[in-house]
Amino acid sequence: MKEMIYQTICPGCGIGCGLYIRKNAEGKLSIDHMKSSPVNLGKLCRFGMKLPYYYAKENNAVNQVNASNADVETAIKTAVEILKDADSSSTALLSVGNTTNEEQMAFTKLAATLSTVVQTGVSSECLNMPEASLAEIEKAKRIVLFIDPYAQYPLIVRRLLTAKKNGASIVAVGTQPLNLADETLDLKPGQYDELKLDRESLIIADMHPNSDIKLAKNILVLAQKTGAKIQFMRSFMNSFGTGLSVNQENKMFGLAELVEDIELGNIRTLVVLDSDPIELMPDNEAAIEALKKLDKLIVISSRSSPVTELANIVIATEPVYSKAGTFLNAEGKLLKNSGTGKAGVDALSLLNAGIGGKAFTYDEMNYLVLKAIEAQKENRSVAAECAASDNGISSPKVLKGKYELKYLYNPFMWFDQKDDNDFVLLNRNTVRKLGLRKGGYVNMKSDRGELKMRFRVEALPDGLVLTAKKLPVATGTSTIISMERC
Amino acid sequence: MVEVGDKVIGYSTDPGVRNKGASGGLVTAILAAALEKGLVEEVVVLKHINEYEAIPIITSDVEDVLASAGSMHTVPVNLAKYAIGKNVAMPGKPCDIRGVIEQAKRNEVNIDNTYLIGLNCGGTMYPVQTREMLINMYDIDPEDVTGENIEKGNLIFRTKSGEEKGISIDELEEAGYGRRLSCRYCDVKIPVNADLACGNWGVIGELTGNATFCEVMNEKGVRLLENAIDAGYVEIEPASDKAITIREKVNNVMLSMGEKWSEKVFTEIPDGERTQYYMEQFADCINCGACKEICPVCTCGEDSKCTMYHNLEDNYRMSMFHMVRLMHLSDSCIGCGQCTDVCPVDIPLTTIFRRFADKSQKKYNYKAGMTLERPPFLEVMPR
Ligand code: SF4
Repeated sequence: MKEMIYQTICPGCGIGCGLYIRKNAEGKLSIDHMKSSPVNLGKLCRFGMKLPYYYAKENNAVNQVNASNADVETAIKTAVEILKDADSSSTALLSVGNTTNEEQMAFTKLAATLSTVVQTGVSSECLNMPEASLAEIEKAKRIVLFIDPYAQYPLIVRRLLTAKKNGASIVAVGTQPLNLADETLDLKPGQYDELKLDRESLIIADMHPNSDIKLAKNILVLAQKTGAKIQFMRSFMNSFGTGLSVNQENKMFGLAELVEDIELGNIRTLVVLDSDPIELMPDNEAAIEALKKLDKLIVISSRSSPVTELANIVIATEPVYSKAGTFLNAEGKLLKNSGTGKAGVDALSLLNAGIGGKAFTYDEMNYLVLKAIEAQKENRSVAAECAASDNGISSPKVLKGKYELKYLYNPFMWFDQKDDNDFVLLNRNTVRKLGLRKGGYVNMKSDRGELKMRFRVEALPDGLVLTAKKLPVATGTSTIISMERC
Repeated sequence: MVEVGDKVIGYSTDPGVRNKGASGGLVTAILAAALEKGLVEEVVVLKHINEYEAIPIITSDVEDVLASAGSMHTVPVNLAKYAIGKNVAMPGKPCDIRGVIEQAKRNEVNIDNTYLIGLNCGGTMYPVQTREMLINMYDIDPEDVTGENIEKGNLIFRTKSGEEKGISIDELEEAGYGRRLSCRYCDVKIPVNADLACGNWGVIGELTGNATFCEVMNEKGVRLLENAIDAGYVEIEPASDKAITIREKVNNVMLSMGEKWSEKVFTEIPDGERTQYYMEQFADCINCGACKEICPVCTCGEDSKCTMYHNLEDNYRMSMFHMVRLMHLSDSCIGCGQCTDVCPVDIPLTTIFRRFADKSQKKYNYKAGMTLERPPFLEVMPR
C-alpha cells in the first residue's frame, strides 16, 4: 500500500484545527502540521497531537448485527427491517456533530422519511450561530470567559494572549484562576453587572449536551443587555454543522431529556450517527442502563465505542479523516476534507430508500449543504436571537464536610480517551484539612462507591474538586462527595 | 571529473525541468537521476498543493520529483525526520540538513546512504501571514501568484499576468511581515553541511535565473553530481571567480543581517531574573508535546527524559518537561523554528531554547548539525 496523506480537521472540538493525517505503507498513522490552515496555523493541542491513538485501527467501527460481525449489506438490510416496523412517535435520531455536513444532511433525510427530526443533544431554546470569528477575539477590549480555555478549547488561548498584548482586560467567571486572566470572579447571574461589559466586549462561553441551559440563557441576556458580542464555543468538530438542517420550528431536546424519554419508554428505537450517549452523558452506568431499555438501537459510526457494544446493528463508516465532506467550525468557516470516503452517505441513502424514501448521492447532499449555508447567512440575526431571561440557576447545596466534584469538560473527556489526567484538583485548605500527603492519594466517596485518586493543588474555592476525567463516583456534571485521606 | 571543493554552475538538460525548476532545475535533475539510476531507493520532496502549501512526501516516483520543482519559501517545514531509516536523497535548507546530521549522530539516519542537496536559504515565511502581506503590502491577490523568489534582499512575487513585484525584506519585516523570526537570526545561509551546496547566489550574466551555483562539499556530493552528469540529466561549467566572489558577498550580507537580528532578539537577561523569565515564558504551556514531537533533532521517542519526569499532576512552578528539554537541547538545538511554529499558545520556544543553548554552544565553539562531531556535553571540561 502506498503512503496516503489526508487533509482534514481535528475531531476534538468545534474549533476545527486543520491538519494532515499521514498513513504509511504499513498503515501506521501520524500527523503533519498544516501551517497554511487559517484556523490554527498548523498548531494543535494535546488532543490533536494524540490523534494517531484516537484514529488507531482498533478503534474503527465494524459492521455488526446482534453483536456478531456482518457485512455492510446485511447490517443495512437488518436496519431497514427494524426501521420499517418502528413507530415514528417512539423513534429518535441523534447526531451531535461528530461527522460531516453531508452525512448530517443525509441523516436529516432519513429522519424526514421516518416522520421525525434529528436531535443534536442541545435544546432548541439555545440554538445559536457563530457571531464572531476567532480572529476577532484579538481585537476585543474586554473579554469575559465562562470557560477554561486551557483545558477546554486550547487553540483560543493564543488569541486571548494576543488580545491581552493588544491591551484587552480578561476576566474569568468561574472558580479556577487562569494564568491569562487579569482577575477571576466567582459571580452569580445577578452579579453580572460587575463585569462592566459594553459593545467592545466579548463573552466567550460554550454550549454542549451537558451545558446548564439556564446559565446559557443568562449569558445570552447579558450579551443582549450590554451589546457585548458573544462567541459560543462548541464541543464537537461539526456542532455548528448540525444546525444547518435544523428547522427552527422543530423542538430540539437536550441530551438528558432524550435519555429520560428512553428511560420512560417514550423512545423505543434510537438511531445514532457518530454520537455515543454513554460517552456523552456524565454518568456512564446510568446511560447504559437507560439504553438497555430500548427495543432497538442502530448505530452508524466510524468509531467503535461503548454504544457500539450495546447496539443491535452497527453500520460502520470510514474514519472521519478519510471521509469526503465539509464541516462548519465555531466561527462559521466551512472546512473541507480531502478524503473521498462516502460510505456514510451511501449507507444512509440505502436506509432511506429501503424504508420508502428517495435514494441520494453525496453530491446531492453537498449541494444541499452549500444551499443551507447560503440561507443561514441571510438569516443570521434571527438565528442568534434565542435568548430568554431566567435567573433560576440551581447550584447544588454542599453540606458541611462534603465537597462538590465537578467535571471540567475537555476533548479527552467527550470521547473517553486515555490521557495523563488520573488526578483531581483541589485546594490547599482541603489538603490541610484532610491531612493529605504530597504525592499521596485522596479517597472519594459518593452514592456510587469509593475511588482512590491522586490530586493536584490549585487555587480553587473551598469545597470544590475538579476532574478532567469521567469518574465512576460521579453521577452528573456535579456530584456531592465526601473525601478522606487514604 | 567532479572533485570535492569544485564550484560549478549547472542546469538541467531537460528544457521542461529547466524552465519549471527554480534556477535551471539543477536540483530537481540531480534528484531524478539519483532515483532513476539507483543511487537511492526514494527521495524526500515537497508535493505542491498550492502556492502557499506543500507537504513532504517520500517517493520513488520520478514524476513526483519533477512535479516538486520550484522554490517554496512559504512552506516552513523541516524535512529531517522524513529521512529516518531510509536510503534517500533530499533537498533541504541548512536547518533540514542540520536536522539530518543530528539524527545521524543519534543513529537514526545512516549518513552514508543519505544524500543531502543543500539549498541556500535567506529565510522562510508563514503561509497565512504571506497571504495577508500580499494583500496589504503588494496589492496582489494571493490567488494570482505563480511564483516567488528572494533576490538581492528583495522578496519578489510573480503573478499570472507575468508581472513581478519586489519589496525589500527589511521593509516587510519592519511592517511585521517577512521571514520567521528564527530565520532572521539564523547563522547558516549556505548549506556547507550538505553534500552539495546549491543556490542562485553567484549566478550572473545571461545565466541569471536559469542556472544554479553548486559547491561540492564531500565525496557523496561528487557521487550525486557525477551520477546526474553520467545520466545526461545535467550540464555544468566551472564557476567564474566573479561568480564565487558574488556568492560570498551575498552570503556575508545575509549573515550580517542575521547578526543584527540576533543582537536585537537576544538581549541579556540580568542575573537573578532568569528563573523568573523562564517561568513566565512557559506559564501558558498546555502540555501538548508538539514541540518535542516536531523537533527534528529529538530521537527519544515516547519514553524520554523530558516526559518521564513530567506529569500533569505535578505542582512545580516551572514545567519539568521544559526544564529537561532546555538542558537536553543545549547541545543539539539547531534553531530551525519548528517548535515555535507549532506551539498552540505561541510560546517563542526557538528563541528560548536558542538563548539557553547559545551560551554553551558558544563556549565550546560548537554549532549543532554542521558536522558529525560529537556534542561536547555540559558535564565535561572545556576542551
Ligand atoms: S481539540 Fe480543538 S483545539 Fe485541540 S487540536 Fe482539536 S480542534 Fe484544535
